[in-house]
Amino acid sequence: MTSSLAAERTALAWRRTALGLVAGSVAAGRLLSEAWGVPAWGVAAAGTALAVVLLRAARRRRTGVHAAPRTARAAAARSVGRDPGGRLVTTCAAALVLLGGAALVVVLTWGA
Amino acid sequence: MTPATPGADDAAAADDAAAAQRSGTRTSDRRFPRWVYAVGAEPDARFSLANERTFLAWARTGLALLAGGVALEALDLPVEPHLRLAAAVVLIALGTLAPAVAWWGWSRTERAMRRGDPLPAPVGFGLLVAGVAVAGVLVLVGLLRA
Repeated sequence: MTSSLAAERTALAWRRTALGLVAGSVAAGRLLSEAWGVPAWGVAAAGTALAVVLLRAARRRRTGVHAAPRTARAAAARSVGRDPGGRLVTTCAAALVLLGGAALVVVLTWGA
Repeated sequence: MTPATPGADDAAAADDAAAAQRSGTRTSDRRFPRWVYAVGAEPDARFSLANERTFLAWARTGLALLAGGVALEALDLPVEPHLRLAAAVVLIALGTLAPAVAWWGWSRTERAMRRGDPLPAPVGFGLLVAGVAVAGVLVLVGLLRA
């Protein structure tokens, strides 16, 4: 019970983060399009696609936790065990670092 | 969680233990990063999930810092241009660093939980606070000089 609530909170946290990623990448695409034209929208498309991938993976995990009701240990083994584990976290971190690099380029280009 | 009969719960627990053992040996070979999942035992799922949420909170903080830094320049605010650019760069640098620091913290915490070690001290708080304060001062001075 408590475990499934924790899983729910985590899925919601992923959703909020994915939403932020979509907003951030669309804003980046819009701002970069002033300099790069249409190809800049690829940034928005890539960010949105990544957000969808993260959401799907996070949802798989949540159902995994729900499907393992008996003990917290079993839930850990099944849910965390069959999911990409740190891959999800690592992909998210890498994408955000890239987005940050893009933002830095944009702002420094304006300043020049 | 009320067991139907006392014996049934024991049997289920034994099944779960066996499943955990099997999947533990199977998945510890696949899960990334190796230096986290190769050590220790599977912690309570709730702790792993909480660790993940902490990472995500940092990730969103990073996104907010990026948005703030970009907005500072994009909105053409009446702030002295050099100070404004400096503040924007500080915010964006923090926003870029935040997810990397968060990943580092996530993996160290997960590893410590698996090994049953005390949790590592949080990293990045000082940097975050100092950076935001510096950016704030830059904007403030920039507003006064504009």
